[in-house]
Amino acid sequence: EQQRFSYQQRLKAAVHYTVGRLCAEATQDSGVQLSKQTVAAIAEVTFRQCENFARDLEMFARHAKRSTINTEDVKLLARRSNSLLKYITEKNEEIAQFNTER
Amino acid sequence: MEGTGTSFRKELVSKLLHLHFKDDKTRVSGDALLLTAELLKVFVVEAAIRSVRQAQAEDLACVDVDQLEKVLPQLLLDF
Repeated sequence: EQQRFSYQQRLKAAVHYTVGRLCAEATQDSGVQLSKQTVAAIAEVTFRQCENFARDLEMFARHAKRSTINTEDVKLLARRSNSLLKYITEKNEEIAQFNTER
Repeated sequence: MEGTGTSFRKELVSKLLHLHFKDDKTRVSGDALLLTAELLKVFVVEAAIRSVRQAQAEDLACVDVDQLEKVLPQLLLDF
């Protein structure tokens, strides 16, 4: 139990680090700064959102009688917003192209 | 794909997902991991930009948790 907790803390720290860098990049040009607490809150929300993502992805794969999650499942995850689905579909094609080039 | 700005590392995304899988047999393909990393990145950037916009609408120079709280419900509905 203790081990699981400290493992989660390490993952949270890794998420926090990346969230901090992404936030700094995203707000660079706006001239407005995010407080440390806000960045920490976004990191916490992101960490929790991963639970929803993981559960959904697992269910989607199982629904298609697969045990391996593929990019189609991730695209289903982005179904709620049209612009998001379009962006993710484009990224998927980019990744596929990158793979065939190698 | 790699080297194009900040993103979540593939290994981190994999560990985050495996933390919550109910079935130990569940696997994730490499491409799916990259795409999930991209989705998480969009989620974070949206959270940041929407709170900045909220702060600007309130004429604030610094974004605080209050602004994030205001944009959070719609953000979660969009994902």
